[in-house]
Amino acid sequence: MTDPVVSTPGHGFAPEPVSLYVHVPFCLSKCVYCDFYSETGGEAGFDRFVDAALFEAGHWSHYDLLDDVPTLYIGGGTPTILGEGLVRLVRGLFETARVRSDAEVTVETNPETTYPALVARLVEAGVTRFSLGVQSFDDEVLKTLGRCHDAERARVATRVLRDSGVPFSIDLICGVPGQTNESWDATLEQALACGARHLSVYPLSVEEGTPLAAAIAGGRLPAPDSDVAADMMLAAEVALTVAGLPRYEVASYAQPGHEARHNLVYWTGGSYLGVGPHAASMLTIEQYRRVAEGEGWDPPPESDPAPARARFTREVSLTDYVRRPLAAPVPVEFLSISEAAREDAMLGLRLASGITSAQAEAAGVVEVLARLTEQGLVRVSETPGGHAVWATTEQGWLLGNRVFGAIWLSVQPSRP
Amino acid sequence: MTDPTLIRNFSIIAHIDHGKSTLADRVLQLTHTIEDRDMVEQVLDSMDIERERGITIKAQAVRVLYTADDGVEYTLNLIDTPGHVDFTYEVSRSLQACEGAVLVVDATQGVEAQTVANAIMAMNAHLEIIPLINKIDLPSADPERVRHEIEEALAIPADEAVLASGKTGEGVREALESVVRLVPHPVGDPHAPLKALIFDSFFDAYRGVVALIRVVDGHIKAGMKVSLMAAGTVIDVEEVGVRRPAHVPVDRLGVGEVGYLVTGLKDTSLVKVGDTVTLAKHGATEPLPGYREVKPMVYTGLFPIDGDQYPELRDALDKLRLNDPSVIYEPESSHALGFGFRCGFLGLLHMEIIKERLEREFDLDLLATAPSVEYHIFRTNGEMLSIHSPQDMPEPGTVDHIEEPYLKVTILVPPEFVGAIMELTELHRATFVNMQYLSATTVEMHYEMPLSELIMDFFDQLKSRTRGYASLDYEVTDYRTSALVKLDVLLAGKTVDALSFIVHKDKAFARGKMLTEKLRAIIPRQMFEVAIQAAIGGKIIARETVRAMRKDVIAKCYGGDISRKRKLLEKQKKGKKRMKQVGTIEVPQEAFMAILKVDD
Repeated sequence: MTDPVVSTPGHGFAPEPVSLYVHVPFCLSKCVYCDFYSETGGEAGFDRFVDAALFEAGHWSHYDLLDDVPTLYIGGGTPTILGEGLVRLVRGLFETARVRSDAEVTVETNPETTYPALVARLVEAGVTRFSLGVQSFDDEVLKTLGRCHDAERARVATRVLRDSGVPFSIDLICGVPGQTNESWDATLEQALACGARHLSVYPLSVEEGTPLAAAIAGGRLPAPDSDVAADMMLAAEVALTVAGLPRYEVASYAQPGHEARHNLVYWTGGSYLGVGPHAASMLTIEQYRRVAEGEGWDPPPESDPAPARARFTREVSLTDYVRRPLAAPVPVEFLSISEAAREDAMLGLRLASGITSAQAEAAGVVEVLARLTEQGLVRVSETPGGHAVWATTEQGWLLGNRVFGAIWLSVQPSRP
Repeated sequence: MTDPTLIRNFSIIAHIDHGKSTLADRVLQLTHTIEDRDMVEQVLDSMDIERERGITIKAQAVRVLYTADDGVEYTLNLIDTPGHVDFTYEVSRSLQACEGAVLVVDATQGVEAQTVANAIMAMNAHLEIIPLINKIDLPSADPERVRHEIEEALAIPADEAVLASGKTGEGVREALESVVRLVPHPVGDPHAPLKALIFDSFFDAYRGVVALIRVVDGHIKAGMKVSLMAAGTVIDVEEVGVRRPAHVPVDRLGVGEVGYLVTGLKDTSLVKVGDTVTLAKHGATEPLPGYREVKPMVYTGLFPIDGDQYPELRDALDKLRLNDPSVIYEPESSHALGFGFRCGFLGLLHMEIIKERLEREFDLDLLATAPSVEYHIFRTNGEMLSIHSPQDMPEPGTVDHIEEPYLKVTILVPPEFVGAIMELTELHRATFVNMQYLSATTVEMHYEMPLSELIMDFFDQLKSRTRGYASLDYEVTDYRTSALVKLDVLLAGKTVDALSFIVHKDKAFARGKMLTEKLRAIIPRQMFEVAIQAAIGGKIIARETVRAMRKDVIAKCYGGDISRKRKLLEKQKKGKKRMKQVGTIEVPQEAFMAILKVDD
């Protein structure tokens, strides 16, 4: 029986689509809530980093991994902090990888590093989309979040992007201590007015080890209230849907046709390759085997069931990365066909469109879905074509961890 | 056999943390029983849990040879006793095996409740008491004050008290000289039929039950047929010997000697602390005085968190009981918690220790329900029912009255905390009897109080309200009639049997209210609203609500790092494993103990 979810093309036949992600680990300053890896004050290292990233991407292209790149995403950090270096990076990637002519090429940016000349140069180099970290149009909220820009700078940045003519997305955070419903409504209103075709709405989450977590533990800031966050998420969904940007994923809203294609690759089990000091990759087992053989990495285990996918996240410092951009990732996680199917089901339920009954069956989660349906977290409906589709209800959206947990943990992890 | 005139049997008694075990260590070193290089701390406390907590749970006996200043080599038997009030009976039997006791008092703390309790027990056993003021090396030591307290509180002359430091070893030799000089040698009739006291026992995987004994009359040797009088068991003596502290077999144990007896028995419960060993034929007619059946004081339900571990829990209890026959247990089933055991313990510390040993030594995850005592229910038909669990409480209509165990409680405390004690005891239905000043810094307060109140977090409260200065001792006196009711807790409208408890009618409303508040804080938000109600006989007396959880989702999906997200889900799931699923509600373990914390 062939599995409908996991594509396993052979090598040397047609080029395999692999999305490319580049992690740019620099920021002007660290925001209090952020626990992603980035360095501040790293100007002196920009060029060496770009060299290393281009070297790394060039190296992987030898394994025919970059022969058909449907989406390219340059994230961070704050990629635009690189300035002209980012233009060099984008151009270099286009030379190294065969980026599809209709590819989505996204650059993440922040208000303080978004200015017309750079945006124009990037568009010229092939960038088709920007993702702007606005977070809020309220100065107080921005201060609480430790952002290094104010609301006015954010508005200026949105105008710069709009004037470039390239579609852009903005990120917003809700459920911030001190943030009022009025402030949130005003932020949503301005977000809709600024011309963004895509919006990401995240409830603030407190990550271990961040200054935010310390401030809450030390009593200097109240913990985010999850009821308030739920109200704001619901308010966003209503306002954005009415404005023609329906929610298509837990945190993502878009005008039809402007969904983030790169992110959809993550949620639908596509292959992706990460470049940079802290980047995640997922490859089919055949793709991984080619790389592992060439690089002398650990071969896939001879386990039963056989591994179908490999995923690895490199986690090295910038200093180590520029010295050894090809260091072997540790550890590599291997997923069997059924695990991969289960993961696809879990991620598919992040999407408003949900998963098909064929996907649910492949993942062996039909019973779990039935239970979740009884709990009101999931519902089943029929597509016009007569196929059954499982998707989260409004409650299931807000209590997504219950759904994802039930799906992923419906079978105990058996890996050693 | 040793000449009885050269034997001195003594124990070291003290309030907890006054340095008893460290002094015992120094005695073993000074007499070269254990060479310095083999020394570990608390040699006689062989269980991990004893060393970690710095307490003695099992009695021990060790023979040391000591050449005194008079040039004569004496045989000293040091009997180390448990220090906690839970083990009062065991202590009394250990003391019965001695002629003297070294009463250790911390030079920085002075006389405390168990100093008094232990001293009184030693006096009742007619022991020669040698006061020893310990920890004199500490800067805050005040031996003069302590000397005064010993004389005032205990009426023991203390001008010749030994000043010592278990830490530096100072005064240890003087203590042993006092033992040789002041403790009478044992006296017994070597020609009378054997009479030996069992003061502890333990289970050895290879040899079966080994008893620690003190020979009073006659002698005992391998091959003899002897009888354990209270148990009514006859055994062949497999081996006798002395502990140094390793077992050294000897030909025979005679009058006054302390040693071990290999019984060959497999069932520890047949070898009872306080029992008398005599000859199977032509033995003694009267046993040694003071034996009694050990009765549990505190009961709790122990349930495996993972219901599949029930058989393992049963095996673990069976094995543990080999070493500690004072633990009793019977199967108990709960709608909320499934299958488990109702277990009886000597006291709260004993309960805590057994639970911890079950979890550590047998790798079990256990949930304990709130402790209970044994209630006597007198029914309208004249029948009396002993119950150990609120679940066994009959319908109120069939109950004439209920009796509960009462205690005589002694609290020693600095005068500035008398008010705090008054307040606390008031909360716990205690009746004030009297108080007296032992010294300018110590007041002795006497109360009568139900045992059920003592096990309600009383000890922790006492410590926190007196900044740790108060000490406590108690003994059960009798059963008294009380107006008691069963309070039930309902989650989402359903009674959770494991949360029920028995409470005095006048306290029921306040306790029910505080408990529901506590539970609201403990029970995490579920996908639906959960009502928490307290009820007596179907009548709701308190209600709280845990609001439904509305948002729990990892929204941020960054750079495809799905492993990280999944780890988070796995972590959430692990957190849930520590909860007990009661119907559709996830209840954290601590909820079942919440009733103990309602006074906070």
